Amino acid sequence: MYELINVDKRFPGVHALKAVDFKVNRGEIVGLVGENGAGKSTLMKVIYGSYQPDGGDITIDGTKVRFQNPRQAMDHGIGMVFQEQSLITNLTVMENIFLGFEQQFVSFGVINWRKMADAARAQLAKVKLDIDPSTKTSQLSFAQRQLVELAKVLTLEERIDGDLVILLDEPTSVLASEEVELLFQIVRDLTSRASFIFVSHRMEEVLELSDRIYVMKDGEVVDVVEHDKADKESIQHKMVGREVDKEYYREQKQKPYDGDRVLLSVDGLGFAGRFADVSFDLHAGEVLCLVGTEGSGREAILRTVFGIDRPDTGSVTVKDQKITRFSAQNGVTMGIGYLPRERKVEGIVAGMNVYENMTLSQMGNYASAGILRIGEERALAEDQVARLSIKTPDIFKDCGGLSGGNQQKVVLAKWRSGGSEILLMDHPTRGLDIGAKEDVYDMIREMSDEGVGIILVADTLEEAIGLSHNIIVLKDGEVQKRFTGAPGSKPSLYDLVHHMI
Amino acid sequence: MNMERIKPHLPWLTLVLLVALVGIANPTFLNPAGLIVLASDVVPLFIMALGMTFAIYIGGIDLSVQQLANLVTVIATVFLMSFGIWVAVLCILAGALFGAVSGFVTTRLYVPSFVSTLALGFVALSGAKWLSGQRALHMDAEQRDATFGWVFERTLGIPNELLIAAGLLAACWFLQSRTTFGRSLKAVGAGELAAVASGLNVDRIKILAFALCGALAAISGLIFSVKLSGGDANLANGFLLLAIVAVLVGGTPLTGGVGGVLNTAIGTLIVMVIRAAMVYLEVDATQQQMIFGIVLIIAIALTIDRSKLKIVK
Amino acid sequence: MQGFMTRETLLKWAPVLVLIFLLLVFPIFEMTNAWAKGKEHIYLLDSRFLSIRNLARIAISATPALMVALGVTFIILMGSIDLSMEGTVSVTAVGFAYAFLWLGGTLASWAWLAIPLALLIGAAIGLINGIVHVKLRIPSFMASLAMGFVGTGFALLLTGGDRVRVEDPLFRALLTVRWMNFPIMVYVAAAFLLLMWFIQTRTKLGRNFYAVGGGEELAAASGLNVNRVRILGFMLAGICYGMGGLMAVGKIGIAETVTGANFMFISITAVVVGGTALWGGIGGVLNTLVGVLIVFVINNGMVVIGLPSYIQSAVLGILVIVAVVLSTDRRSVSFVK
Repeated sequence: MYELINVDKRFPGVHALKAVDFKVNRGEIVGLVGENGAGKSTLMKVIYGSYQPDGGDITIDGTKVRFQNPRQAMDHGIGMVFQEQSLITNLTVMENIFLGFEQQFVSFGVINWRKMADAARAQLAKVKLDIDPSTKTSQLSFAQRQLVELAKVLTLEERIDGDLVILLDEPTSVLASEEVELLFQIVRDLTSRASFIFVSHRMEEVLELSDRIYVMKDGEVVDVVEHDKADKESIQHKMVGREVDKEYYREQKQKPYDGDRVLLSVDGLGFAGRFADVSFDLHAGEVLCLVGTEGSGREAILRTVFGIDRPDTGSVTVKDQKITRFSAQNGVTMGIGYLPRERKVEGIVAGMNVYENMTLSQMGNYASAGILRIGEERALAEDQVARLSIKTPDIFKDCGGLSGGNQQKVVLAKWRSGGSEILLMDHPTRGLDIGAKEDVYDMIREMSDEGVGIILVADTLEEAIGLSHNIIVLKDGEVQKRFTGAPGSKPSLYDLVHHMI
Repeated sequence: MNMERIKPHLPWLTLVLLVALVGIANPTFLNPAGLIVLASDVVPLFIMALGMTFAIYIGGIDLSVQQLANLVTVIATVFLMSFGIWVAVLCILAGALFGAVSGFVTTRLYVPSFVSTLALGFVALSGAKWLSGQRALHMDAEQRDATFGWVFERTLGIPNELLIAAGLLAACWFLQSRTTFGRSLKAVGAGELAAVASGLNVDRIKILAFALCGALAAISGLIFSVKLSGGDANLANGFLLLAIVAVLVGGTPLTGGVGGVLNTAIGTLIVMVIRAAMVYLEVDATQQQMIFGIVLIIAIALTIDRSKLKIVK
Repeated sequence: MQGFMTRETLLKWAPVLVLIFLLLVFPIFEMTNAWAKGKEHIYLLDSRFLSIRNLARIAISATPALMVALGVTFIILMGSIDLSMEGTVSVTAVGFAYAFLWLGGTLASWAWLAIPLALLIGAAIGLINGIVHVKLRIPSFMASLAMGFVGTGFALLLTGGDRVRVEDPLFRALLTVRWMNFPIMVYVAAAFLLLMWFIQTRTKLGRNFYAVGGGEELAAASGLNVNRVRILGFMLAGICYGMGGLMAVGKIGIAETVTGANFMFISITAVVVGGTALWGGIGGVLNTLVGVLIVFVINNGMVVIGLPSYIQSAVLGILVIVAVVLSTDRRSVSFVK
């Protein structure tokens, strides 16, 4: 019924979807799995009209269609239940259900509330939710909100003629297990009305619910498995299964770290709703990778250790000094540096030039009585630009105008020249081209040699494996498994994925 | 040549163009003696705009400066007799403290600066009315001349008033471009989140910026009060609009991080020339506010950095 | 998720409690004063503050501000702000007065047309305001502040600084004729409040204000034309300011450049103190009614108990900050400019 044929999508530097064939039959529940960056979310965005494919066709019942935006996709029966709650919480349930489509209940600008409530009740009945449609959404539980979202998408049934295809993006991530069961029951019942595409990082759930499962890797569909023949292990093997290029990640440069010098020690750290009971030590010269899916708590741990977020439980000890005041300012004073994922927002200050950015975290070192010694700042910047081969016409160039790789180098230079012995790196190679990535890998090795401890949240699993001495696998905010990764005895991708999802 | 390249040069180009236009229409305008008089007239406005620059530079705004200046005119008049020259210190301290409170309410209590300063402005208004007994007060002429008479004298033919303004400008420029504080201000204005992630104490920087803004507003009020030899809860009304116009026309956008105090100097001169032009062109005084309001809209529309505003509320 | 004393319910009823508290505290002050003077029989009904005459006085003084505050309520509901009311009120008041005099000077002639004209002028200014804000992508506080300056300047241009008197007894009946001790203008204001309440609760536009304030991006993703809602909001606010201008002229019989003075702060204070969150999405016109009453009860009560009137602006200033602080959910704000 709904079919993608040979669909291609490219972004600058990335081939996100490679000749993908994808098919949904009437009344079917199709699962979609793949590790981060495999192309799941790009595929979903193509399906609901947020992206337009560069090649290939989308057909519905054999007719070619093309969506310019999600609204047009909706008009063809494609609905989306978002992972992030997309209901407006200060509105009532019925207003949310019919938001943007109130016109059917309006005469002369006046809304007929009774008519809307009746219509909303009919929608809520489809998802077996017995609540007053005039309840404020903020008063519902997360599970109820999820069902309201589903009911909102199901209004398409009345609005359009053809069949419905509904995308469920990680719908269970905020639900308790019995709520998940309820949701699945409802989805199964609804197959008489619509087909579903189910995306989740919880493999068991995908196996339980889906009639067919598409497995994606590197922008390709690597396998399609029928429900009866589906097996968790084999699917996980297919999601990864690739040789790691040792050269690429500078494995030959990896040296053992100094196990006697503990730089940072995290004990029982917890942050409600993000992660719980996380403990580890970071040693001089060590690269420690936190691995997990999106939302597994990796980034939140970094931000808490740095001090931007405040933990609810547990402690962080830096060089034998227990941190009592959690603030970025304190983190920097303790010698921690942070390479944020949002490089352009939190990493560099666009609008400030190269040397201003480099000394931003350490202005005190370049000032006497609050007056900057700008000459020394410039000398530092010239030195760093030469040493890290930062490509910039001069040190007076606005950092916002540099390429991603060079921006990243500026941020690294900022922390290194300031003497940070602990570096927290969140996706340091995200969006960089291959050359720039290799530069970053080289720099990581050099810093390890100098005795810097690094906690890394890598862009891909290969990167994590290739770069790390130790790996901690996280799932839903909890530590699942620890691996050690000396060159030659590194864990395989499969080992990690097995514990991630 | 694209727009982004020209943008930083727009303010002084505008100034030169305006001066040329007015000069051609009325050559007497270019008479140096006349220009000096015109310039001394805008000194209080300039100093207020100088302070406002810091509030806008960090991406905030201070709507209380006008009321604060009003309050200071009253303080200056009331305490001149008993404090003598020290009344200046009193005024500046009061202004800095007041600004710091605005900064505190904005950063620590999460009240957007346009609301917090609007509200605190009215607190200042109450203070001014209370202290003045809701009357227009006058300074003792002898005391004024003895204490502040030097302000209106000339050194080498230049009014001391202008020299004060130039001195403050130099100090502010030094602060802005040569000190860690100034660099921090820029970082907060251009990329607050990156400033936080670099370990800067952003709250303290913002509070200091507002305090500085308050102190300069107080100096502005003080000079204005001495100039008019009195104090009144409404004396400085009308300054707020012009101060904001001066900052924005000078090229410090509402979104912060760009521009600075030198831009404000140019902006104030532009305001001065427009005002002078209106007199020469016999534009009625009643139309000035309307014209400056429109100038303000144009200035914001041209300078604002829309990439920094995800949603425009 | 549901609790009896949640933050939400508390915030919802706090303004009403404050109003009730104020309505009690001023008479109690009076009584203690009377008691201190040695008066023996003290009755609540003796309170000068609670006398019908005084309550009518509060109602009259609150009427124009209520009209203005209703307008800005919708803007704040959307998470924006409008600071143009002083200029708009002045322009509509002056425009009305000139048109009224030119068309005959009495309601019994074609001069009644000046009333819809004033509202139209308000809507037109609101339209410009909205367009400048939305199309030029200028934050509303700055766009509207500048428009306010333009408005005041335009009013000054029209009057040249003169006062325009509207002395038609029929029009002034707004103030002079009373039903049940309250002048007609209070009933007109009540009717207008009802109309605004209807717009807020029953119309698509009214509900869309909440959608924009509650989640602008989500609303846009659901197909709502947010820009159109914003511009219409500013027009509606302009009409309310026009009503405010009419009421202000009705109250004192004079239109001048300063007719709009002080409305900005009082109306925003009233809206915020009434419990409409500055971040948008929560509150409404009934909150604003409570807020306006709080502001004017404080104003009047302080005079009744013998406090100088100039304290009022300081009290209101602090009240605004307290109200904003209370309504801010700090976890949801990353930083504030």
